[in-house]
Amino acid sequence: MEEWRFIPFERFSAFENMATDEAILKVGQQRQTPPTLRFYGWTEPAVTIGYSQNPRREIQYDFCRKGGIDIVRRPTGGKAVFHDGDLTYSFVAHERNPLFSTDIMKNYGTISRCIARGLEKAGIEAALVEEGRGSRVGSLDSFCFSLPLRNELLVGGKKICGSAQLRSRSVFLQHGSILLDFDPEITARVMWKNEENLMEDISKLKNSVTCVNEHSENGIETDLLCRYIKESFEETMKVRLLESSLTPREEVLKERFLRDKYLRPEWNMEGKVEIHGRNTDR
Amino acid sequence: MSTFPDDLLFTREHTWVRVDDNIATIGITDYAQDAMGDILSVKLSDNDSSVEQDESFGFIESAKTTMELISPISGEIIKINEDITDDLGILNSDPYDTGWLIIVNVKDLSELDNLLDSYEYSDYVEEEVEVE
Repeated sequence: MEEWRFIPFERFSAFENMATDEAILKVGQQRQTPPTLRFYGWTEPAVTIGYSQNPRREIQYDFCRKGGIDIVRRPTGGKAVFHDGDLTYSFVAHERNPLFSTDIMKNYGTISRCIARGLEKAGIEAALVEEGRGSRVGSLDSFCFSLPLRNELLVGGKKICGSAQLRSRSVFLQHGSILLDFDPEITARVMWKNEENLMEDISKLKNSVTCVNEHSENGIETDLLCRYIKESFEETMKVRLLESSLTPREEVLKERFLRDKYLRPEWNMEGKVEIHGRNTDR
Repeated sequence: MSTFPDDLLFTREHTWVRVDDNIATIGITDYAQDAMGDILSVKLSDNDSSVEQDESFGFIESAKTTMELISPISGEIIKINEDITDDLGILNSDPYDTGWLIIVNVKDLSELDNLLDSYEYSDYVEEEVEVE
C-alpha cells in the first residue's frame, strides 16, 4: 500500500502557513517527498487573497488593517478567503501519481470526495457541486465562498468548503478551507465593495454559505474532524497516511519563503518579490 | 483533440518554442490551454529581463487553477505579447500563433536539444491521459 505523509493540525500565522505550503510544493517537485496532506489553523484572523487579486480593490484593506486581520497573498489562484473559524488543508501531489490526473477538475473531485466522506463521519452529508451550479452572492464576487465551483462541496445546498489550486512542474498544490464556524457579518465587512449592499450581502451570505457547527449540536473538535478526513483519504485512496513533519530541506525553504516573500508587502500587495537577487513574480 | 505543430519544440511543462535564427517565440500548448479552461489572467516576467531554461517566466490563471510558466530556453525577453492584455481569449483559441506569450533573444541554441519534438510531446501527453 502506498504511503503518504500527513502533517497534523497546528496553528501558525498566515505568512508561515503560506511559506510552509510553498516549501512542501517545491520539495515535492524534486520528488523527494510523498503526496502530503497538511491541516492547519491561524493564530490571528487572516484574509488570504488569490495570487492575482488586488487587495486594495477586492477586500476592505483598511478594515482588515485596523481590525488586526493579517492579509497574505496565496501561491494558489482563486478568490479571497477570510480565515477565522475554519479548518484549512493543503494537499500536494504529483500529477503523474496514478491516483491523480492531469485533469484539474478530476483532482478537485477526488479530494472533495475524501473531504465529503470525512464530513459524513461527523454526521454531515455533503454533496459535490455539479457543473454550472450556483450564482454569485451580491457584490461579493471577489469572495471565494460567493460561488460554488464544480466539484466543490455543498451541505444543504450551501457552500461549506472552498478550494484553489496551483500547478507547477507537474505537481499540484490544492488549498481548501472547511468552515467550522461562519460569521456572515464580519465576512461581508471584510469583503464588501459597495456599502449600500452590505445588509443585503450579509443576508445572501446567510442563505448561501454554511459551516460544520451549524450541522452539529455540540460542535466538532477540530482534531476529531482532522482524524475523520485523514481516515477518509486512506479509505478512499487506499493509501496509508503516516504522521510526520517538514523535512530539513522544507524547513529551510519555509524560512526563506517567509523572509523573502510572504512577510514582504511587495508580495502581499503587488504580487512581486525579489528572491536571491533576482526579480521574479511569485 | 489537441494539436502539436511539427515546427515547434515542447517542454514537459506544456510550453512551446519556435526558433528563427536566434529569436525564439514562446507560448503554451493547445493541451495546456484545453486543460486549464478559459484563461482569466496572465502575469509575465518584464520585458528586457532574462529567463533561464527550465525556470519560471510567469503564471497563467483560469477559474480552475494557476499554472507556472516554464521557459523552454534561456535568453533575454525582447518582446511581450501586448495583444493578450486586450483579449486573453486568444490564448485559448490560438495558442500557437496570435496567442504567443514572449519573444526571447536566445543565449544558447544547443539548449534546444533538451526539448521534445511534436511526436515526443504527443507521446508524453498521451501517457498522461493513459495514467488517468
